[in-house]
Amino acid sequence: MNNKTVSLNRRNFLYGAGVALALPKFETFAAKTPDLKSAPKRFVSVYHPDGVGLPLKTDPAWEDWSWFPRGGERDFELTKVLDVLQPLRSEITIYSGLSHPAARKIHGHSNADQYLTGAATGGHGAYQNSISLDQVIAAHAGEFTRHSSLVMSTNGGIGGPRGAQTQSFNREGRPIPAQNKPKQIFDMLFVTSGKDARARLSRSKSALDFLIANTRSLGQELSGHDQQTLQQYLDAVRDTEIKLAKAQQWIDTPVPQVDTMHLKLDADPKEARFYFQTMYELIYLSFLSDSTRVATFQLGRENGEGPHDLLSKAVGLGNAHGLTHDVKKPDGWKNLGTYNRYQAEEFGRFVQKLKDTSEPTGQGSMLDNTFAMHGSASSSFHLSRNYPIISAGGKNLGFKNGRFLKFGTGNEDNQAGAGIVSDAGWRGKIEAEELPLACLFVTVLQKLGLDVQSFGGSTETLSGV
Amino acid sequence: MNPCLMNTLKITILLVLVLVSASPMLAVGEDAKATPLQEVREFGRKKSRFLQETIGDTLAIRAIPKANLSDFHNSVGSLLEKHCVACHGPQETKAQLRVDKLNPDLLTGSDIERWREVYGVLSNSEMPPEGEPDYELADADRRNVVAWLSDELNKASLVRRNTSEHSSFRRMTKYEYNYALQDLLGLPFTFVDTLPPETASEDGFKNSSRMLQMSSMQFETYRDIGLEALKKATVHGERPEAVTYIISPREEMEKASEKKKAEFFDQNDKNYASNKNRQHLFNQQTGKGLRYSGGTWTPVADAVSGETPAVSPVVVVLPRSHELKLNLGRFLPDEGTMRVRIRAGRTTMEADEYASLRLVFGAHTSNNANFSQVVSERDILVTVQGDTPQFIQFNIPLSEIPRNPFRKLSTTFPRRDELLSIRNVSNAHNKKEPLCVLIDYIEITAPYYDQWPPDTHNSVFVGSSHRSDEEKYGREVLTGFMERAWRRSVSSQDVDPLMALFAKYRSEFTNFEDAMLEVMATVLAAPEFLYVTQKVSASHSPNPQTISDTELASRLSFFLWCSIPDDELLQLAHQGTLTDPRVLNAQVKRMLADSRSHRFSQTFVQQWLGLDGLKSVTHVTDSSLREAMQEEPVAFFNEVLECNSSVMDFIHSDYVMVNERLADHYKIPSVFGPHFRKVKIGSQVNRGGILTGAAVLAMNSDGTDSHPLKRGIWLLEHVLHDPPPPPPPNVPEVDLTDPEILKMTLKQRIADHRSKPACISCHAKIDPWGIAFENYDALGAYRTQVENKAVDATSSLFNKQELAGIEGLKRYLLTDRQDQFARSMVHKMTAYALGRPLSFSDRADIDGMTSQFRKRGDRLGDLIDLIISSEIFHAK
Repeated sequence: MNNKTVSLNRRNFLYGAGVALALPKFETFAAKTPDLKSAPKRFVSVYHPDGVGLPLKTDPAWEDWSWFPRGGERDFELTKVLDVLQPLRSEITIYSGLSHPAARKIHGHSNADQYLTGAATGGHGAYQNSISLDQVIAAHAGEFTRHSSLVMSTNGGIGGPRGAQTQSFNREGRPIPAQNKPKQIFDMLFVTSGKDARARLSRSKSALDFLIANTRSLGQELSGHDQQTLQQYLDAVRDTEIKLAKAQQWIDTPVPQVDTMHLKLDADPKEARFYFQTMYELIYLSFLSDSTRVATFQLGRENGEGPHDLLSKAVGLGNAHGLTHDVKKPDGWKNLGTYNRYQAEEFGRFVQKLKDTSEPTGQGSMLDNTFAMHGSASSSFHLSRNYPIISAGGKNLGFKNGRFLKFGTGNEDNQAGAGIVSDAGWRGKIEAEELPLACLFVTVLQKLGLDVQSFGGSTETLSGV
Repeated sequence: MNPCLMNTLKITILLVLVLVSASPMLAVGEDAKATPLQEVREFGRKKSRFLQETIGDTLAIRAIPKANLSDFHNSVGSLLEKHCVACHGPQETKAQLRVDKLNPDLLTGSDIERWREVYGVLSNSEMPPEGEPDYELADADRRNVVAWLSDELNKASLVRRNTSEHSSFRRMTKYEYNYALQDLLGLPFTFVDTLPPETASEDGFKNSSRMLQMSSMQFETYRDIGLEALKKATVHGERPEAVTYIISPREEMEKASEKKKAEFFDQNDKNYASNKNRQHLFNQQTGKGLRYSGGTWTPVADAVSGETPAVSPVVVVLPRSHELKLNLGRFLPDEGTMRVRIRAGRTTMEADEYASLRLVFGAHTSNNANFSQVVSERDILVTVQGDTPQFIQFNIPLSEIPRNPFRKLSTTFPRRDELLSIRNVSNAHNKKEPLCVLIDYIEITAPYYDQWPPDTHNSVFVGSSHRSDEEKYGREVLTGFMERAWRRSVSSQDVDPLMALFAKYRSEFTNFEDAMLEVMATVLAAPEFLYVTQKVSASHSPNPQTISDTELASRLSFFLWCSIPDDELLQLAHQGTLTDPRVLNAQVKRMLADSRSHRFSQTFVQQWLGLDGLKSVTHVTDSSLREAMQEEPVAFFNEVLECNSSVMDFIHSDYVMVNERLADHYKIPSVFGPHFRKVKIGSQVNRGGILTGAAVLAMNSDGTDSHPLKRGIWLLEHVLHDPPPPPPPNVPEVDLTDPEILKMTLKQRIADHRSKPACISCHAKIDPWGIAFENYDALGAYRTQVENKAVDATSSLFNKQELAGIEGLKRYLLTDRQDQFARSMVHKMTAYALGRPLSFSDRADIDGMTSQFRKRGDRLGDLIDLIISSEIFHAK
């Protein structure tokens, strides 16, 4: 185990980019963890639209640029797309054969909406979504932290129905706006801007005081029986008071001190590498300081647009969405694979950092207490099946890594839907049987300690995870 | 005489009567079958015990149940002794159960949970264990013990439920809260999506005080919703600039003419017949036409809205199910009303065809994804001829519909435009002269305000001469608002603490109104808004058990409007005249005539009949059929209410309430149009009343076929108010892998299941009722055959009464069950009116009301009057 938690290498985490964030003394971060007995259990999901490259076996590009590994559960071999994760091999799991049943015949352009929810969001007409996985976790884990979750995307906001720019949806299935400006996220996490919040809180408190007094005087005019009914209302107000007191505590607690000198908070998707690294860095810092235990990050937007299409500039390619369309052109598979490789590389950098940091208030590394997911709800070209998913970490939560897990039947070599080069490919016949991704979500929820039996219509866990 | 003693006496008399009248079983045999149901109804009415003069008004047909100890001592006890005590007694005490020590009085004793376990294992034949020949329980004996236990358990739960006193003090339901905000603020929006749904009581009612809980999550949501609603009702600053779009088919035609590619057709062309069935632009003077789906518009600068230009010969011809697509760009404001005026007429005026307009709004969110939603509240019929078109107007609240979230982007992708479609919803029959809608002018204005500030604003921030004095004006605003929200007069004592709150808030806001809204949101989070109160009267009050006049106003309005009282009711309450019977009657008439009373028929019927069940079935895939199914019982109830007809119409009527879609489903010819109307069905008995409504039959089916058990339970619970006991735990499913069972018809399968000694006691009371409905399939359509076999819908009730299908069922109910149904109606509606479960102590009131109700001819309108003038309605 690496115990050099406050070492210099942690101070220079944006390797080679000339950017560094000087962390203050470690105590600042540890100071306000409310639950010291057990380490925080964390969840992060990173979503990339547009899926991955799946050339046919007969295609010369198959050898190097097919996303899924080859081989068995333990002896799997990574292709060039994921070889950047080779050093982390023992910390990751790669999945195949998972998808949300309700979306298997939906065009991939609508997929970001349902990746974490599993809802039947459809392709046209009226729209209804449901709660996302991270928000189920946040409702529980948020009790312990200043922010119940961190919701980020490159494009920001909510997007539109079937064109989501956020991965997170609340209990009513309404989108939660994602933040996309590093400076704003940083300020929210680490700079007190409590003036408004303080005033709002004080107003709420006065209102509650009034309501309690008013309820008491109403109670005196009611029969004994009715007073008992009213007691429920009074209890509800009291519970709210306790929540406000907690919110007040957070307002009064100084935010963790972070030196921004070398953090590139004005990073822009145009400089995709800086931007990705800064966003990942913000997730890392928010976890390290226990400001939140839940985060989602959407890289781009299905169907491309604005910031999304700039992301591939990091590897010298333009028009990220177009890469999926251009696989039939010379070097097409290679270009898409190179872009996916770069996404995996940045994810790997983030995972490595969690691995290199000791858990401030518990055993092992931060990675051991974090379940980190990286994936898309399309595989081959707008095809909403066989999601390419990588997870990392979670050893202390009961996850066993270093594996390539194949689920379902009839697609052992991941060739179903491979080689699609036309925009109509998503309509293709369902050739293989896949398992609902929500089974993995139920497993994740349970391993994170939630007493949950079902999610997104699935009541089963995924065996072998 | 002691009233309790009197009741006991009456019960005794009654029991004797019941026995006497029950003994000569009234056979509804072949002879009676010839009698029309109308005569059966009159005959059955004469048998009513409630109409017997000698029994009087406080007759009680239902005694408080007592434990049946004699059966226990005579047989059940000794059976248990013989078959159970060896292992569950003093020698051996397996599972820590001493059967010999269990108190046989389940109603007052404390062993009910252990009895429930005994019931479970006996009814599932798990005990006595197999392979113990000494203790084997014969079928007849098992039947005996299970029947006794099932009865006793059922009585015990009834007693438990009914002996506790229930109060009408409760919070508003989710839907009442929504209506209350709508009425208080004058906004027809849905505010309550974020509140959790309500749970229904055993009676099926969601407004039952016992079920309405409050949590902190809910409380916080109320606060948020209240503030949000107030913000929507009020406005800031100057009147916003409106945008107006003018869509003129004439100009569209002119524009098209300038294009070289335009392919015009002529009404004299050979293939004109095919073109005129398409959506197109058409010049009625020249006979020239051009295919047309819609276009893109920008607002017209300086356009005046509300104009009536001369009728143009050039029109858009919109055939059945077609849509005129209007791309409105990204110019619509975020809030306010979008007023859409469409001048339209019909090509033909055949009586068997209709056409109506519907608005759909949406956007494209990426290349292959879009969303769209119907935004008009209801379709509006086009009723006039095309050459004399009339304006049809829709008012769409822009803040309440799904908008294009990208409309404010500075880049052009994703698309920023918003699309409004006008759809022709019609039953046009594909005639030689097709029925199409002709549109010659469309005008869209947003935000549209009648006046500035709008009424919703002025009713919160009232006009006043004290406007410049914030303290004085604030007090005035707050007093008026509180009196409406809290439904009572408020004193300065009530207002002072809220003015203190205002003083505290004021400095944090730039203007008076915003600070005031925060204070008013607190008024809306207070229990006096959220709860339907009944306060303890002052000690010197003449009627301490009676609710106050203002509380009466609320009870009335929550009963008939699902909402808070209006100014007129409150004023009468303040004057102290609302309790005057004449005033009260006049108010009830006024309230029922008001459109808000539709909420009453809607919610009461839905909850009374448990129509939520239709939402959870998936086999009704045709949405227009589903909507019609859902609407039918409500329309039927409204018809009976408006005509003040007898509630026996619910059992059977010689008319149905249908629209075209439902009439088609029922195979009733010549009903055209989407609206519900009364249609006479003569002596036909397969329809008429609510029992044979498609909604009830469809929701009580298993998705592919009828479900007699569900239908039987439904009838017992909702119509006869005699719910069967719940099934024992872990009932085994019917084994469909057994080839013997697979061979049987449904009815035989049910009979097979029923013949099991452990099941018979309950199923004998349920199944026969449901089998009588066998002529209706899973969608409630009438059938005479199932899988090539004739439907067998005859069954025999536990009292040996034969039921020959639906006709037999209706006959039997009308002959022998009128009293039970009438009392059930009184019970259900009273429980709903009071917003609480009824208990044993209410039964004398219910019986008294039932007696009056029957004497006055079972009329639904009278029932409402009876309830409202009853003592129980005015009591705390």
